[in-house]
Amino acid sequence: MDRRLKTIAVLCLVIGTGGFLFAWSGLYNVAASAGHWAITRWFLTFGMENSVETQSVGVKVPPLDDLAMVQRGASHYFGGCMSCHGAPGSSRSLIALQMLPAPPYLPEKVEEWSPDELFWIVKHGLKYTGMPAWAAQERDDEVWSVVAFLARLPEMSPEEYRGLAQGEQAGARGTTAGQLQPFSLDARSPDALGQCIRCHGSDGTGRETGAFPRLAGQSVEYLYSALQDYALGLRPSGIMQPIAAELTDEEIRKLAAYYAGIEDAPSVGLRMRIDPDVLRRGETIATEGISVHGIPACASCHGPTTAPRNPRYPLLAGQYASYIAQQLRLWKQGARGDTVSSRIMAAAARNLDEENIEAVSLYYALLRQDQELPDLQLNGDGAGGQSHK
Amino acid sequence: MFTGGALIFVLVVALTAVAIVVPQERRRWLADGRIVMAGGIALPVLVLSALLGYGLFVARGQLNPGEPALRIEVVGEQWWWRVRYLDGSGGVRFVTANEIRIPIDQPIEFLLTSADVIHSFWAPSLAGKLDMIPGKVNSYTFSADKPGVYRGQCAEYCGAQHALMAFYVVAMEPEAFETWASHQTAPSEQPVTDELRSGQELFIANGCGACHTVRGTSARGEIGPDLTHVGGRLSIGAGTLPTNKGTLAGWVASTQHLKPEVFMPSFGNLEGKELRAIAAYLESLE
Repeated sequence: MDRRLKTIAVLCLVIGTGGFLFAWSGLYNVAASAGHWAITRWFLTFGMENSVETQSVGVKVPPLDDLAMVQRGASHYFGGCMSCHGAPGSSRSLIALQMLPAPPYLPEKVEEWSPDELFWIVKHGLKYTGMPAWAAQERDDEVWSVVAFLARLPEMSPEEYRGLAQGEQAGARGTTAGQLQPFSLDARSPDALGQCIRCHGSDGTGRETGAFPRLAGQSVEYLYSALQDYALGLRPSGIMQPIAAELTDEEIRKLAAYYAGIEDAPSVGLRMRIDPDVLRRGETIATEGISVHGIPACASCHGPTTAPRNPRYPLLAGQYASYIAQQLRLWKQGARGDTVSSRIMAAAARNLDEENIEAVSLYYALLRQDQELPDLQLNGDGAGGQSHK
Repeated sequence: MFTGGALIFVLVVALTAVAIVVPQERRRWLADGRIVMAGGIALPVLVLSALLGYGLFVARGQLNPGEPALRIEVVGEQWWWRVRYLDGSGGVRFVTANEIRIPIDQPIEFLLTSADVIHSFWAPSLAGKLDMIPGKVNSYTFSADKPGVYRGQCAEYCGAQHALMAFYVVAMEPEAFETWASHQTAPSEQPVTDELRSGQELFIANGCGACHTVRGTSARGEIGPDLTHVGGRLSIGAGTLPTNKGTLAGWVASTQHLKPEVFMPSFGNLEGKELRAIAAYLESLE
């Protein structure tokens, strides 16, 4: 008995020392070009698949059929994922294919994963592969929009993909950012404006689904600080942070001035019926607040008002309801970043419940940007379907 | 009352000394049944019954103090005091915060309630504590007999800044009080210099009016204290700091540093010049 234990101990020591000496000698070839033995590949894949399955237990899948989510996911995929994973009508980059493991061609492979597993992979990334984690861990809402897009990917035609991902640029495949841009940008990143246009449009109105916020007519000060906050990682977003971080201060200034300078951009009407009571509630919150519940009037900072306004506070008139509502939810979750301005808004948003968030978001969505004071039609047919242009 | 209490105290100490010091055979009388009955039951019953009668007689005056000269409604909120002076018909004459001025030698009725959690109203030199309970109005009447500044404090733990929930009661000669009260009823001073004008504009432009009222301007918020005459108050932040331009600027810029978790956010987005203008404007609101 005693002898057997001793033998085992010595054996372990020899194996351990041998392994260490082997690693030290550098005889093991870490070359991606060398590939794996079939058994190693099987073992690594086996471990990875089981880990994803186990780790994603308890992930609750929200509704994924919102077109705005799909567009947001597609546009991010276009900029962040496509070069490695390919897309309908686009193959993977030859460089990415030399990785070990090579990233899968998702239009064919994505069906192997369920939505909760995809969420987990996109959010956390995969160790020992090239798959990165989501840049803003607080933004589950963004990760879900990528998953909503991935869920549609297998049946997607190249045209549909281009339309979802590129919006107005989709038709103009040969167009370079250089032809669209109304000002000259740094040669280092000539496509800075192109990156913006893909989602926010060249007229700054986003898409009519509300997938992206409207930038047209916003103040220069606000747009500049928003891009700065993204660039410095003070405002979490896995979609905007990587884009903003590559911009120079000069580019940020020019982009802010470009979108702030767009006047008379068309407003997009809401295509839904709106309960006039909800709209009235929204108007009350926006213009008067609800003091007994500690809800201040939005208009004091964000308009509409005839009084002076700090241009560092964003204008909300004509902004998409889904964007306003999502930002308010982020504030309530403590996921809207930590800047001097966001802390002020955090105090203002604290007492808004979901019902009030939706009401006030709809009110601002239906308010025309050039209006100083609200003049909404609150009649029986509701304001639904009205277009502001 | 003091003499009676002192006599009883001396008697008890003397008997204790006898029980400890005196030799056993000479203190046997102390264990006698009649002494125990007389000192342990009869005496307390007599003394305490007399005190109860006297106490009820005195309290009768407090319960029924007659018609108060003035009614003041005080609402405890995390972590400050909303003060409403009522007129003869029960309507609000004017609103202020964190400072209660009263005329001396007149019974003042305080109507106390709370907007959130239980607070307790306590100006120790003037009267006892009375709880402020959400959904219920507690009231009591007291008066100050000489002019002066009396500090008050919330006396029921009410959250993170309970300790910095203080107030001042300022007792004044009746004529001085009337002058003060009619000034409080008036709208705020309009700015007269460029700095004050810019301070007022910045106050509005940065959204202060979403929570604060300054009568005479477009600031109509009712979430936080009414600032119409804030410059004339002894303290800001409910007894946290004395009122002057420096403390006002510091308060606006960093409430969360001076009184963490208070519901007003720090306006760290303002530049020094803007802060100084806003502070000068607020100080001018006497």
